[in-house]
Amino acid sequence: MEASEVNTQHHEDCIRVLIADDDEHILECYREAFEETALTDHVQTVGALAAELFDPNADDEDEPKFEVVACNQGDDAISLATEAADEGHPFDVIILDVRMPPGIDGVEAGSQIRKLDSEVQIIFVTGYSDVPRDELERRVPPPMKLHYFNKPLSFIQLAKDVASMVKAH
Amino acid sequence: MAAFGLLSYLILNAVITPAFENLESDAAQTDLVRAQRAIQADLEQLESSAGDWAPWDDAHAYALGENPKFISINADIPTLVNLDLNLLLFYDIAGKPLWGQLVQQGEGADLARLGIFEEGSTQTARLISHSSISSEISGLIQTNMGPMLISSMPILQTGEIGPIAGTLVMARFLDESRVWRLSEQTEVDFSAVSVADVEVDYRRPLAELSNSKGDTFYHETTDSAILSYGLMRDVFGEPIIILEARTLKGLSALGKQTVNGTLIFLCLAGVIIAVVAWVLLRRVIVGPLEDLAGHIVGIRESGDLSQRLNETRSDEIGDLAGEFDKMTSEVQKARQLLLDQSFKAGKADTAAEVMHNIRNAMTPLFNGLERLAVSYKATESLHIKEAIEQLSDPDCPAGKRDKLFQYINASFDHIESVARKAGDDLAVASRQAGQVQAILADQEKHANVAPVFEVLELDSVVDEAAHVIPESEEADFHVSFEANVGEHRVRAHRVGLMQVMGNLILNAYESIQRSQSKSGEIRIVANPETVNKLAMVRLTVRDTGCGFDEAIRKKIFQRGYTSKQGHMTGLGLHWCANALAGMGGRIQAESTGIGHGAEFHILLPSAHGG
Repeated sequence: MEASEVNTQHHEDCIRVLIADDDEHILECYREAFEETALTDHVQTVGALAAELFDPNADDEDEPKFEVVACNQGDDAISLATEAADEGHPFDVIILDVRMPPGIDGVEAGSQIRKLDSEVQIIFVTGYSDVPRDELERRVPPPMKLHYFNKPLSFIQLAKDVASMVKAH
Repeated sequence: MAAFGLLSYLILNAVITPAFENLESDAAQTDLVRAQRAIQADLEQLESSAGDWAPWDDAHAYALGENPKFISINADIPTLVNLDLNLLLFYDIAGKPLWGQLVQQGEGADLARLGIFEEGSTQTARLISHSSISSEISGLIQTNMGPMLISSMPILQTGEIGPIAGTLVMARFLDESRVWRLSEQTEVDFSAVSVADVEVDYRRPLAELSNSKGDTFYHETTDSAILSYGLMRDVFGEPIIILEARTLKGLSALGKQTVNGTLIFLCLAGVIIAVVAWVLLRRVIVGPLEDLAGHIVGIRESGDLSQRLNETRSDEIGDLAGEFDKMTSEVQKARQLLLDQSFKAGKADTAAEVMHNIRNAMTPLFNGLERLAVSYKATESLHIKEAIEQLSDPDCPAGKRDKLFQYINASFDHIESVARKAGDDLAVASRQAGQVQAILADQEKHANVAPVFEVLELDSVVDEAAHVIPESEEADFHVSFEANVGEHRVRAHRVGLMQVMGNLILNAYESIQRSQSKSGEIRIVANPETVNKLAMVRLTVRDTGCGFDEAIRKKIFQRGYTSKQGHMTGLGLHWCANALAGMGGRIQAESTGIGHGAEFHILLPSAHGG
């Protein structure tokens, strides 16, 4: 099992995200999107000084923090989700690609993960899926904890959406 | 055939041969009985003679000593010969011999040679003693000259009236001549062998017959005859002669002949039946089955599912051929359907795969561009110009001045960082664009895969392609369509040819529409043609549409060319020309000018080769 973890420490205020996609370039996109919500030092300095020198009323937006674990096979996603649940730190959101050859597809992985974690938000992201939406909802219920995005998509927006859906729950 | 012959032989031998042998055995026993009865009859004839002489007054008187001339008058040798007697004896009532005569070969002989009838012997006494007038002793008796038939009766008065005056004995030899005579009479080949001088050959029959209590029959079998043996006893109950009857084995030989004849008949009949059956099987079953097999092989080798047996027989073979034709027709339809579905499914799968791969490749590209936009947008919010203006203000406090410098430095660090990341993002975008290009190049390779060619019936293709003709929405506009392509068949890619024909038919329809005419005609005909020694089929699509001039004709098959104003529909004639070329065919266009309709000629390889 190949898994990479951006933040290895569990933080209570972090949103724990598991991502499975067989394309390493796309995984890199996820990492960049979820990492950079945390501001670098010079950006924080610029923001703080700008607020003090030019715009005292500017809101200091509280950016969400993510703890991201990535893998590139459905079986690995199931193992990582099982392990996290066993340790008492289940993932808040699991993002799955639908097609991840040569192993099981994302729908099958999502279906098995749902059986062991009924709370986790599951997001399917794919370039093309021959699995109809109603079948997805039947295999990975409930519909309010199931989300579907087509590639290409805005990963920055996705990070914001993930933060929103966790916050809403 | 050999098994049939062997089985027949075994059955016939087990049933018929034993039956004939039993018949033969019965016949042998009958022959022996007839021999015994012949001897018995001879004995009875002797008894009859004795019965004539014994109750006779003259004889009675002679026995009483009252008729001394009796012998000279009645018992001379010729009389004895006439009576077929070898011995005649007279005894008085006391058992004293009165007279006796032995005759051998017509002459008198010494009575003492017999070795019996000695005066005073017990044996003689037993033979001549009669206690009543009805007493009678007859049978066989052994003498030194051979066995004799003997009949001893009391001498009485005529009318069998007593008292008994003495004893009359008549006897005759049971010699070879007599046995031969009896054999002639009975037509039974038999002989009588004296037990006294029995030869080696008869010891076993003698032993068998002597030991048997009730059975008086024993037989042996030689190659040519059945030898039946019977034992005859003398008047004292002792064995005296063995009768041997020889029965030729005619019946068993007949049985064997019957078996052999029947076997030959059965074998010949079997051969004839087998030959007739083979001929009939050949003509009725094997031949048609070979035709069917050849038809199947032909279809397998050619792949031409349009071939039919068209068998008219009304038997099972005809039904089988009919069912095979139906099955072939169904398989042909299924193959066409499968090809269509495969083609469409292949296109769908390819489209899905291409979509998936391109979207995946575009995702980092999209992400890189988005990040680039966000990064540059972030630089727009910097207040560098405002900071410099405040720094240029001499009244700017020193503390604020330091912070403004820190802000400007941090801003430039941020810009530098953004520029660096922008470079990375552009590299990603460039890399992903290259990946999209590689995917498209890969698809281009698959696009060059040769399509599957099959034998196509043109009428079927044209009928299906004609469905592209739209239902006219204008009541006063009508286009008639007529196709007369006969039974021509071509070897081509079915879906491709259908698309070509559909394109040409639709072009013709639209050309008629553009001609402003209220009606028009589309005609399709097919004719065989030989091109460079190759059998081809010329398919002509003729319309009464607006036609075209020479300038248009020259560029009508060029890429991107259309005579239709303002819109492009269908696949285009350029694609049609390429598709037909890929099938080993070609297309050309003819028109006598604008307003005079057009003809498109397609040449395709005939399914019949050449």
